[in-house]
Amino acid sequence: MKREMVLNVNGEEHDVEIEPNRLLLEALREDVGLTGTKEGCSIGVCGACSVIVDGRLVSACLTLAAACEGKKIETIEGLARDGELHPLQRAFVQFGGFQCGICTPGQIMAAKALLDHNPNPTTDQVKEWMSANLCRCTGYYKILESVMAVVEGKVDEGRRDEAVRQARIQSLYQSDTYKSNASD
Amino acid sequence: MSKAENFAVLGQNVDRFEGHDKVTGSAAYVADVFLPGMLTGRILRSPLPHARIRNIDTSRAEKLRGVKAVVTAEDTIKKGWGVFFPDQYPLSVGKARYVGEEVAAVAAIDRDTAEEALELIDIDWEELPAVFDAAEAMQPDAPLIHEEKENNIALTIDVVRGDIDAAFKDSDLVIEDSFESVPQWHSAIETIGSVADYSANGKYTVYMNTQTLFMARMRLATALGVREADVRVIQTAVGGGFGGKSCDDNNAMVAAILARKARRPVKIINTREEEFLAGSRPRVNMKVWMRMGFKKDGRIRAKHMRIIADNGAYSGKAPAITGVAALRHDTCYKYSDVRSEAYLVYTNKIPTGAFRGFGNPSAEFSVEQMMDIAADELGMDPFEMARLNAAEEGYVSPHGNRVISCELRQCIDRTERMIGWKEKRAARKPNRGLGMGCTVHVSGKRHFGDYDGSSATIKMNEDGKAFILSGEGETGQGHWTAMCQIAAEELGVPFSDVAISEADTDLTTFCLGNYASRLTYVAGNAVKNAATAVKEILHETAAEMLECDPSDLVSRDGFIFVKGAEQRSISVADVVRGRQFRRGGAPVVASGSFDADSVSQDALRYGNESGAYNFGCQAAEVEVDPDTGHVKVIQYAVASDCGTVIYPIGAEGQVEGSIAQGLGYALIEGIRMEEGRPVNPNFSDYRLASMRDMPDLVHEFADSYEPTGPFGAKGLGELGMDPVAAIISNAIYDAVGVRIRTLPITEEKVLRALQEKKNGS
Repeated sequence: MKREMVLNVNGEEHDVEIEPNRLLLEALREDVGLTGTKEGCSIGVCGACSVIVDGRLVSACLTLAAACEGKKIETIEGLARDGELHPLQRAFVQFGGFQCGICTPGQIMAAKALLDHNPNPTTDQVKEWMSANLCRCTGYYKILESVMAVVEGKVDEGRRDEAVRQARIQSLYQSDTYKSNASD
Repeated sequence: MSKAENFAVLGQNVDRFEGHDKVTGSAAYVADVFLPGMLTGRILRSPLPHARIRNIDTSRAEKLRGVKAVVTAEDTIKKGWGVFFPDQYPLSVGKARYVGEEVAAVAAIDRDTAEEALELIDIDWEELPAVFDAAEAMQPDAPLIHEEKENNIALTIDVVRGDIDAAFKDSDLVIEDSFESVPQWHSAIETIGSVADYSANGKYTVYMNTQTLFMARMRLATALGVREADVRVIQTAVGGGFGGKSCDDNNAMVAAILARKARRPVKIINTREEEFLAGSRPRVNMKVWMRMGFKKDGRIRAKHMRIIADNGAYSGKAPAITGVAALRHDTCYKYSDVRSEAYLVYTNKIPTGAFRGFGNPSAEFSVEQMMDIAADELGMDPFEMARLNAAEEGYVSPHGNRVISCELRQCIDRTERMIGWKEKRAARKPNRGLGMGCTVHVSGKRHFGDYDGSSATIKMNEDGKAFILSGEGETGQGHWTAMCQIAAEELGVPFSDVAISEADTDLTTFCLGNYASRLTYVAGNAVKNAATAVKEILHETAAEMLECDPSDLVSRDGFIFVKGAEQRSISVADVVRGRQFRRGGAPVVASGSFDADSVSQDALRYGNESGAYNFGCQAAEVEVDPDTGHVKVIQYAVASDCGTVIYPIGAEGQVEGSIAQGLGYALIEGIRMEEGRPVNPNFSDYRLASMRDMPDLVHEFADSYEPTGPFGAKGLGELGMDPVAAIISNAIYDAVGVRIRTLPITEEKVLRALQEKKNGS
């Protein structure tokens, strides 16, 4: 049985008429008409559908739209203001933090949720937090570089010379492990 | 060889052409296409690996309110399609040959209705014996999957070059071993999907996230029984391809058949489970037996390889992939006596197909371990052995691959230095080890018709901006940006003054699409040639306007100058307007073509498959936990010879992404099948590496110049993926003395091998 409700998305109120079991992902994409939030795995693993609800990062593919009534929903479409890109968006462009772009809205929203709570995370904190957002193109190096550029206030400086950049990427990864954890 | 050129735009880290669309969520992927009256399509898939269809009753489904069309093979022309063997149908004809095969489909007003309708379709199945292992499927008593294919063999290769028996006799060391790779899924974060529309005048329009538009159109036309121009394929933004979206699956066919019957647009987006069952065609799994002969000094003398490759139930590109696995690696090292045997065998599983590397990862997993084993037995340093055997400029492989530029030795030197090979080997730490390997790949491959070319058109706008029309398409790798850079460089205009079209089969000339690491080299040459032709037109008109000879003109930064008298100049925009807005005026537009100087392989599979070859060397340092079998990659080093680097962020991204996929292939990916059914078709069980899993990575590009490439460039996209698994295995052996010959290299396998070693078995 469909029900009328109001969804507050990026500061704007949207009247929608939806089934109680409508997922936030479907409501955003099909009822509100904001298709920037993407579906990847449909089970809350890949992070492509990450949005922020009342300050918390959620998977829109696991969240009911009805549960978000009266809450503040933030999506990728709300980041740029008056055509001015958010620093995270600028960083992803400048540092090449994406290739195909399908996971990018989720990556940027995840990074925003982190930085909203903690504007000065360590590299390890960023890696740990961002590990809930899968990317199949980049190997994550340039995503990490993009996020750290915002943390360190390096956006709009452009890319440094190659040797400096390589050294920096290395330092971002030096403490790390590759986990062998196969399913068979 | 290297050639320093003073580039204005090439080698610059420009902002990616479609970057702002992608970071703001406004890039339109196929799931974001909504047409008026659009229906949702869902597919009924075979629950059985091999079964005859006695009867399909769709009457109950058709009566459900909201259902607009139900289709089965009876709604098709029942004509097989397939790039090499036309053995696949959009919807099962007579029988189904794997779990997940498309049998029937429904278009309805929403997904719930479509899914309810699927449950109302009654199929009377007669289950048939099935076979899941390629080696078993070759046995005489195995059930036949395609009745006309004896012993289920789709393809046999047996190529002998030189005198292989004499070469083994002449060898000081002969080693033999066997290896097995693993089926790997592309796992693009976006699944395959399409939106098909059928107009009253009989034309299909299909929005697809395909890498290969014109190939998609060709296959759609075949399956639908219409002419190519009766199908228009429009590429949406593509959320990751890696070979998986090269249109060897049925998604778009079924959408088009439903759209024709419903007379309304139909959208079908694969669920993640469908993507594993019957979407992107996973990497061809190969069992490889090898024998190699070496001289005492480390030179390779003879190589014999036998591959049993798993085709799955239908043949997409697996025949070409098997050929690559059998032959390409012989372009990496110098030797002349080779035998390569390969059998491609049908099984009752998802058809296998193109995935970054195209057979080469299975081959390199075997060959690069054989090299390591030989170095160990001969007491040689693997880097020394690689240097000794490395291909070089002018080398012609035993199968006819002609190497023009080659900086493999440079890559070997760079990698050795980056990983700190000598220092680390001199100060060994317990349970730590180092491994290395080399790699070769193509820049395009001539195997679809006698053509490995591309074409592009550039038109100049009256504001001086250039617009490239190209049907190659962008899959996410940054191709559009690289093409705009090449055009800007050649035209002498700023990067911001060049744009490129979305790919659309109605609006662009024929292009083969995204595969075989071909775009920068092949499409780049076509775009450069188009730009040269446009520049000639511009200079002709500019010469009239500046009253000079066209040969005295030079273009730079949006202006055309008289050489030596640079105050005499005119803007490109003024030239375009000058040519257009006059009596007898005309637009500034020109096309360019390029066909690589490669040749189709002959009946004995001899022939130079590509216009240029890219090379690389990689090394890893790992630490193995002897108590858990856990493998930690401490550092990974990569040197790549891709000629001139056009778009550095894009090129680095190809290297980084390749290594991530390669490490996944080596250590964690793979799907367990039970009786032909994937038991983990989702992202919580099929694990992909995440950010915290990635090791420290160092990489460099060789100083290199390919004379036949656009501004010296050649391919890169697949090169990095190919040797990773072998290198990890070599490093594990160096660390703890056990060698893992099957992928993925799980903790369990390492632990078991360590146990066996301890027990002395």
